Amino acid sequence: MIPSTQVHYFDDINIGDSIPSLTKGPLTSAHLMRWSAAFENWHKIHYDAPFAVEHDKLPALLVNGSLKQQFVVQLLKDWAGPEGWVWKASFQFRAMNLVNETLTAWATITGKTALQDYGLVTLELGIINTAGKESTPGRATITLPFRGGKAVPYPFVAPKL
Amino acid sequence: MALLTDAAKAYIGIESTLEWACDPVERGAVRRYAQAIMDEDPIYQADNDTNQRYGGAVAPPLFPSHLFRRAFGTTDPIQDYAADPHFDGAQKVRGGLPEIEPLKHLAVMNGGSEIEFYRYACYQERVKLRSRYADIVEKESSKGPIILVYTETDYLTANDELLMRVRHTRIRRPL
Repeated sequence: MIPSTQVHYFDDINIGDSIPSLTKGPLTSAHLMRWSAAFENWHKIHYDAPFAVEHDKLPALLVNGSLKQQFVVQLLKDWAGPEGWVWKASFQFRAMNLVNETLTAWATITGKTALQDYGLVTLELGIINTAGKESTPGRATITLPFRGGKAVPYPFVAPKL
Repeated sequence: MALLTDAAKAYIGIESTLEWACDPVERGAVRRYAQAIMDEDPIYQADNDTNQRYGGAVAPPLFPSHLFRRAFGTTDPIQDYAADPHFDGAQKVRGGLPEIEPLKHLAVMNGGSEIEFYRYACYQERVKLRSRYADIVEKESSKGPIILVYTETDYLTANDELLMRVRHTRIRRPL
């Protein structure tokens, strides 16, 4: 999927709106092994099924929390677009996701605050599987430009609130 | 009996020294990483119109936090523990912080993160970090007592520009 180059303006954002969701999967053991190899982390519960099930008493291989957070950040980054910036993102890993699940990252706008040069947009977010079970609730703050205004400063400097 | 002892709590406030990632931001590593997270954004691929704002090709936002890998000449835990059937392969020591010895017998799980982003790491840039144990607390879960270990880590460029700040939670639970 190619990220959107669409610029979203603070002026056009409405509290309660959802941003376009991002779906990944089904996440096979090959996806999990590829991620473990890419960042060189060898925790066996993500690729060694006998170890995960027999030793650690898990129901199956687990989708890495570190991979799930990538999906959330990609969702936010793509929506912030080429003139915005993802300032903050937080997520808790409240439930396990197992190998072969398909996951969808989502976010909904919960607030907006206009600063002098750009706006702050707050969001609630999460990751659900195809059964609709939430595993990764969190929050984010994205900065967006005003219509007719300049791009959000880069590198980003935290505003004094 | 409490899971969290005073010996474990004594690690609160311990800071790491500055630790450098063993490699700079490399195009091949960025490609493998971007493909593994299934985000082949043009801003990662080469200098082009999409990344002029960032000064050229950059790494994915979370890349700096995964750049701290085993350097040449350091201990190889996979080989060292090859005969240990209980070795879980988890990377227990992070950010230059010491292992919390009193919790060594507990399983580790990723509890979540709070991240602030300031800029992307560029190709060929070197990255360093500084980390500390911010807090260690015990909580009751539906499956019994667990310990939450909070670390705070700053990821910086060689020029001390802040790339990102991460407050990370690790869950330690009895096997």
